[in-house]
Amino acid sequence: MPLEGHARIVSELTSRGYNAEREAVTQLAAADDPDAALEHLLDEIPDDALVVRSEHVEAALNAVSSSGSSPPTESAADRGDPTPSVSTGTDAPVSGDSATHAPVETEGSEPIERTVDADLRSLEIEGDMTGQSTGTGEYEDFVSVFRDRLERLGSKLRGRVNHRPASAIQDMPGGSEVAMVGLVNDIRSTASGHWLIELEDATGTFPWLVMKDRDYVDLVDELLCDEALAMEGTLADDSGIAFVDSMYFPDVPRTYEPSTADRHVQAALISDVHVGSEEFMEDAWNRFADWLHTEQARNVEYLLLAGDMVEGVGVYPDQDEELDIIDIYEQYEAFSEHLKKVPGDLEIVMIPGNHDAVRLAEPQPGFDEELREIMSAHDPEIVSNPSTVTVEGVSVLMYHGVSLDEVIAELPEEKASYDDPHKAMYQLLKKRHVAPQFGGHTRLAPEEKDYLVIDEVPDIFHTGHVHKLGFGKYHNVLAINSGCWQAQTDFQKSVNIDPDAGYAPIVDLDTLDVTVQKFS
Amino acid sequence: MREEDEQYFQTLESRLDEAFDVAETAKQRGGDPKPEVEIPTARDMADRVENILGIDGVAERVRELEGEMSREEAALELAEDFAEGRVGDYETKAGKVEGAVRTAVALLTEGVVAAPIEGIDKVEILENDDGTEFVNVYYAGPIRSAGGTAQALSVLVADYTRALVGIDQFKARDEEIERYAEEIALYDKETGLQYTPKDKETKFIAKHMPIMLDGEATGDEEVSGFRDLERVDTNSARGGMCLVMAEGIALKAPKIQRYTRNLDEVDWPWLQDLIDGTYYDDAGDEESEDEADDADEESADDGDDAAAEDADDGTESDEPQGPPRVDKSKKFLRDLIAGRPVFSHPCAEGGFRLRYGRARNHGFATAGVHPAAMHLVDDFLATGTQIKTERPGKAAGVVPVDSIEGPTVKLANGDVRRIDDPEDALEIRNGVEKILDLGEYLVNYGEFVENNHPLAPASYTYEWWVQDLEAAGADVQALEDDPRIDLEFPDPEEAVEWAVEYDAPLHPEYTYLWHDISVDAFCNLAAAVAEGRIEQDGDGSVNGNGDDSILVLEHDDAVADALETIVLEHRQREGEDRIEIDDWRPFVRTVGCEPRQAVADGAALEPDPDGRGEEPEREPDTDPEEPTVELERTWTDDDLSERARTWGHEAEGDNAIEAVNEVAPFEVRERSPTRIGNRMGRPEKSESRDLSPAVHTLFPIGEAGGTQRNVADAAKHAETMQDTPGIVEVQVGRQRCPDCDTETFKNRCPDCNARTEPDYRCPDCDERLEPDDAGRVECDRCEVEGTCVEPREIDVNEEFRSALESVGERENAFEILKGVKGLSSTNKVPEPIEKGILRAKHDVSTFKDGTVRYDMTDLPVTAVRASELDVDVGQLQALGYDADIHGEPLTHEDQLIELKVQDIVLSDGAAEHMIKTADFIDDLLEQYYGLEPFYKIDDRQDLVGELVFGMAPHTSAATVGRVIGFTSAAVGYAHPYFHAAKRRNCDGDEDCVMLLLDGLLNFSKSFLPDQRGGKMDAPLVMSSRIDPSEIDDEAHNMDIVRQYPREFYEATREQADPEEVDIQIAEDTLGTDGEYTGFEHTHDTTDIAMGPDLSAYKTLGSMMEKMDAQLELSRKLEAVDETDVAERVIEYHFLPDLIGNLRAFSRQETRCLDCGEKFRRMPLTGECRECGGQVNLTVHQGSVNKYMQTAIQVAEEYDCRDYTKQRLEVLERSLESIFENDKNKQSGIEDFM
Repeated sequence: MPLEGHARIVSELTSRGYNAEREAVTQLAAADDPDAALEHLLDEIPDDALVVRSEHVEAALNAVSSSGSSPPTESAADRGDPTPSVSTGTDAPVSGDSATHAPVETEGSEPIERTVDADLRSLEIEGDMTGQSTGTGEYEDFVSVFRDRLERLGSKLRGRVNHRPASAIQDMPGGSEVAMVGLVNDIRSTASGHWLIELEDATGTFPWLVMKDRDYVDLVDELLCDEALAMEGTLADDSGIAFVDSMYFPDVPRTYEPSTADRHVQAALISDVHVGSEEFMEDAWNRFADWLHTEQARNVEYLLLAGDMVEGVGVYPDQDEELDIIDIYEQYEAFSEHLKKVPGDLEIVMIPGNHDAVRLAEPQPGFDEELREIMSAHDPEIVSNPSTVTVEGVSVLMYHGVSLDEVIAELPEEKASYDDPHKAMYQLLKKRHVAPQFGGHTRLAPEEKDYLVIDEVPDIFHTGHVHKLGFGKYHNVLAINSGCWQAQTDFQKSVNIDPDAGYAPIVDLDTLDVTVQKFS
Repeated sequence: MREEDEQYFQTLESRLDEAFDVAETAKQRGGDPKPEVEIPTARDMADRVENILGIDGVAERVRELEGEMSREEAALELAEDFAEGRVGDYETKAGKVEGAVRTAVALLTEGVVAAPIEGIDKVEILENDDGTEFVNVYYAGPIRSAGGTAQALSVLVADYTRALVGIDQFKARDEEIERYAEEIALYDKETGLQYTPKDKETKFIAKHMPIMLDGEATGDEEVSGFRDLERVDTNSARGGMCLVMAEGIALKAPKIQRYTRNLDEVDWPWLQDLIDGTYYDDAGDEESEDEADDADEESADDGDDAAAEDADDGTESDEPQGPPRVDKSKKFLRDLIAGRPVFSHPCAEGGFRLRYGRARNHGFATAGVHPAAMHLVDDFLATGTQIKTERPGKAAGVVPVDSIEGPTVKLANGDVRRIDDPEDALEIRNGVEKILDLGEYLVNYGEFVENNHPLAPASYTYEWWVQDLEAAGADVQALEDDPRIDLEFPDPEEAVEWAVEYDAPLHPEYTYLWHDISVDAFCNLAAAVAEGRIEQDGDGSVNGNGDDSILVLEHDDAVADALETIVLEHRQREGEDRIEIDDWRPFVRTVGCEPRQAVADGAALEPDPDGRGEEPEREPDTDPEEPTVELERTWTDDDLSERARTWGHEAEGDNAIEAVNEVAPFEVRERSPTRIGNRMGRPEKSESRDLSPAVHTLFPIGEAGGTQRNVADAAKHAETMQDTPGIVEVQVGRQRCPDCDTETFKNRCPDCNARTEPDYRCPDCDERLEPDDAGRVECDRCEVEGTCVEPREIDVNEEFRSALESVGERENAFEILKGVKGLSSTNKVPEPIEKGILRAKHDVSTFKDGTVRYDMTDLPVTAVRASELDVDVGQLQALGYDADIHGEPLTHEDQLIELKVQDIVLSDGAAEHMIKTADFIDDLLEQYYGLEPFYKIDDRQDLVGELVFGMAPHTSAATVGRVIGFTSAAVGYAHPYFHAAKRRNCDGDEDCVMLLLDGLLNFSKSFLPDQRGGKMDAPLVMSSRIDPSEIDDEAHNMDIVRQYPREFYEATREQADPEEVDIQIAEDTLGTDGEYTGFEHTHDTTDIAMGPDLSAYKTLGSMMEKMDAQLELSRKLEAVDETDVAERVIEYHFLPDLIGNLRAFSRQETRCLDCGEKFRRMPLTGECRECGGQVNLTVHQGSVNKYMQTAIQVAEEYDCRDYTKQRLEVLERSLESIFENDKNKQSGIEDFM
């Protein structure tokens, strides 16, 4: 099958579940026989690689030039996946010959009778606060939320340093070695280019100075206000400030071993359907729903929806002019109709997003009775944003992802960008909090505890909101930002955001491998 | 200048001199900061420029140059003078550049605004990377008031002077160039710019700019890249610099280029590239140019282009396809606020009808509204209320004009009446069911010139008709002279007669709004009329038909509707199944029916085919001898031409005017083709300006006076039992007596009464310092600025008691004497408490600069009557008014006189306040300065002829005015030139007056706050006489004629450019002997203070009451869609408020209730980190959901869209979710049943 140009290469790579560096694609396209090179590359590439990098290509090109020809490969099989990893719905299959043994395009595949053994399934919810909102918006509620955050995240840090309370540090003699655990209260640069970070604990605040020539000065770029942190360093002579020697994040242990399912079962992780918007991609959705009925999707038994079921009302000024369905209840009814198209035996879990008709402040409780009634067809689990759902032993932290905007805005591009949304998710995992910074974009509703803390390390972290597809692993935790089902809006066009619309990432719960199905 | 004008100014100036002498004497005696009057008099702009800058010799040079060249050229000429040291006494190069730049800005702003002193902080010389020197100009926020051209030119002058004194060009570093681009984008985001250059454009300018533009940080937000630059002090946006670069250089490049071409020393070749947009590396030139143009025109009305296009369409073919109409513009409806009603939707039928003309209290951004209409809109409009309007400008001040047509209403009893008398309006107001038409809306020609708005089609009015009549060959003069004929309000029969006899269009009084009904409705109406009958109503009234006959139609909803739409007075009697029309003859003829005489008994004539034989029975009282009148329709629907049938603007056949003209025996013009939408803006204002809390004396008492800042309390205050009461530590300036070396904080030595001097010390080495020539105090050794401010213990009790004693007052002379917490001026010089005691006694409070001020909305007036000003002829004669506007000797109170340019009319409130101030001044002179009283006011008539200062915000120059009378309207009426001299127009702007001697005696620069903008709004200089060529040129666009020519009205139908029409405007008389007089008007008004004195907006209590009244009114007004109003109030007021507060709630700051310290996030300790005090939220539940229930109710009641209702529902649930405990829901009573 001839491959022409970069687009084909990228398409082929994504169809096999790979992301690719730009250079790698260029190198591939420039190869004498891009086809062969690509096949070879897919053969050679290490199993754990998710992104095709230029070094992989170089290795593959060397191999091609040495062998002169490329052996046929079956990448999906190599990766222990009997199904080909793409469906374009209407196009002919684009993967290699070997992949066509299971035709996936809608016309070609007969809907199958799905048989599932309900006994094998398990689904548990943790951290759902729907109906548990006890905060009444008092000052004390806010204070206890932040205290709870420090308490719980601090407990992950206190074992690592010999910490002292802020009030005690200033009484220690100058030159002492000190450590502290606290929330970041303030980050500012000094006139001489150093960084002053104020940590706060339950006793007060203490300033920590990060010298601009120290190695970890780069870490300062990653800091957000109100995240929990431990610092170690040396007190200045007057004990008024401490010089940082090391910094610790609550983080996910490098050695973290995720749990997996005992059988081969898959979950589809999607979000941002935006029914009601003029840009809702109904055709793509229908292809997705149809695909779920095919043999290829036989093992997809769970559907996780990370918010923004509908486009909502009044989300931005003059939104009504861009709505296909203006009535919010009709939007949910339409959504429900679309949802009915997926197989009835899917287990569905939904959390709300910022376009949904619930409060914007996080944590967001799940939909109210009226909306639940509308969406009752598949008896979905409707839980709060964020919530953790454990599916056959695999815990999935579902969070809509509003804070990603802030992480991407505040952090340097190489650490978090819209093109690699999963990298921004890594930051949240590292901070063990889904929306650390208070007072910026993210809105907080004070509850008795901080529901936004990532108490237990999840096996999968699933977000949406930014309308970009991206996934990768951070300390073995699979982070997935599902794309969306809404084509580029005028607003997105004006700010040059090109959404990844019409993709469904499918996760093998037994291996945590991801394949991406494309329906647009 | 005419002799009488000169005399007038001399009268003003002699009174000014008189007051000045008194003030000078007083100042020498008292303990004021300066022993002389601190407001210098400027007779002309040159004086103002010199005084505002404080640079000697500028005025003389400006006068020399003024006659020879333009102001811009003079600014460059002066730059040379500065460079060569001919003007100004500067030794440093930086000083020379600074002097030149400030002078240029002052010159270009005519020495009125504060920009030259406040907008330019300093000029310094810095070093380029190659070791050469360059000039850095430091701009500040107030440079905004200079406007783009002056801003841009200041840069050019700086560069020119730089070149002349031999300093090198600025060579920007790359990161600095990038910084400019980032910063301007940031400033635009934060504050907004009129024109925002693109990054490339900014970088291009920055790269080529030969001097460095720098400035103070104005915002909190910081740039993210290009921080901590060596030569840029701040990481925030420098507002002044951004303005100069974007709205100055980038926007006004062509203007600067005009001057650079003539200068050899400076060369800005890059300007051409900037203008052409060729700063891009590649193509795309055109695009950028277009965009620059767009931005240029952004301020112009949306409708402009569209309307212009419309006009083009009209001229394309000889036969227009439809009636000329302006396009709707909805802009004025934006950001509708709860409580401020909409009077008319854009171009809506039933709304205000545009009539051209200028009333004597009109012009200069005002709108003439009939006083009856003001009452009928539930008093929401009052004299001076600002309205946001559809065209020609954006906003206007409302003035009452009763020589235009009033509103037409439908009463609950079915009467449809036009209300031309405000008294009638009040009487029938409660019975008004619907306001069918708001009446006419007077706009003067000059408004269209000023706004560069194409003329909108004129209403057919008397002024136009009478010229048509003359053109048709009638002897108008003879008709006018005929005492039996009222040409403007003729009898119906006369009107018909003239139309037929002279073949002139029908008189506007009987021309109805035929263009507002459809052709179908017209045919239907004509049929109904033909079915109608003529009755004697037996009330004996002669309804202008020569008898007491009326036209009676059968009651029919469609007919009633049509009659209401064409705004014809009639009575609907649904119960009796009749509609009665009094003035029926012109109406009947217009619909193409002919009255025919018939004999009453019916027997003599064949029964008419319509079988109206019953008529005699229904009218048993009718004299059987009298002939009855039959109405015969002379046409059928099919007679109408295709053109008439399809004539329309929005839809085919929606305009019956062509049909009317085909069937009527005379020409019928479009009565009111242009409707003007508007809504209420700000309410009018007339109130004293008080600081909050009010201040009687600028004497510091710290916290000792409590929150009231009560000096008497401070005098008794003691922190602990051990402290002496009244001892308060405050920051004040240290003064030293030059004679006996006593140290004090007062301006006179307490020991020897000599005047003291500030005692400056270096804060580091405590060396005593002397200020240099520029007034700067710097320690040479430590290179820090010296100061005389020190914390000092003051015995407030002692000061207070001795002050009371020295003015001979007792503590019970006033209720409370309020001081200030601390002083904000540089040297912190306190004011003598004595002044405060006397202010408190007369219940006046002071502004930050020591003056007593009264704010009023500005309105123009060019001719007045003694009767409306509450003065008599004698008083006016004493002020130099000898003749009325027709040149007749002034003998009677009702004669109109032309107002002199500096005479002003005070509102009643202002007069009362001025009397109090005058009493205060008299006491001050007697009891403090030991002089004779000056004003000796017994009643307010004594104020007539007294001088005041008028002064606008953001300016630094006061204009002398003279009180000529009083009005009950809550506004300040004055000559438009007086307002323009203060840099105000009358579209709702307000400014203040202060009593002359109060300003002279009590103003001191030493009190002005030591912060940016502190010198704004302070009378640093005063103009004693107005030079019409030195005022805001907006006033020059006012028309000053008695009548607009017929060609003008015809041109409006073409929607011509206003400049194409020849009507004299004020500009035409500039520089002539007539420049101070001859402001004629086209429309009179009975009184300049008709209608309500205060807008209902001010008299209604809570916001809810206002909003209820607003929505209630919207229901009544035909021209208003109440659902749209409700939607807009919810959409633009309630929802943003709810959403904004909810957002603010969930990311709010907190604040310590005790010390006021703010925290970005709630402290984990729970309490204040600074003082341990109680911390609380800044946004509470109460402020978040205060409008929730109201909004839901309004949405329900006014049937808003589901979309709006659902948005509210979603929000309501969000609020519940946040503020209610799920486990402890508020239980209703039903839970217990």
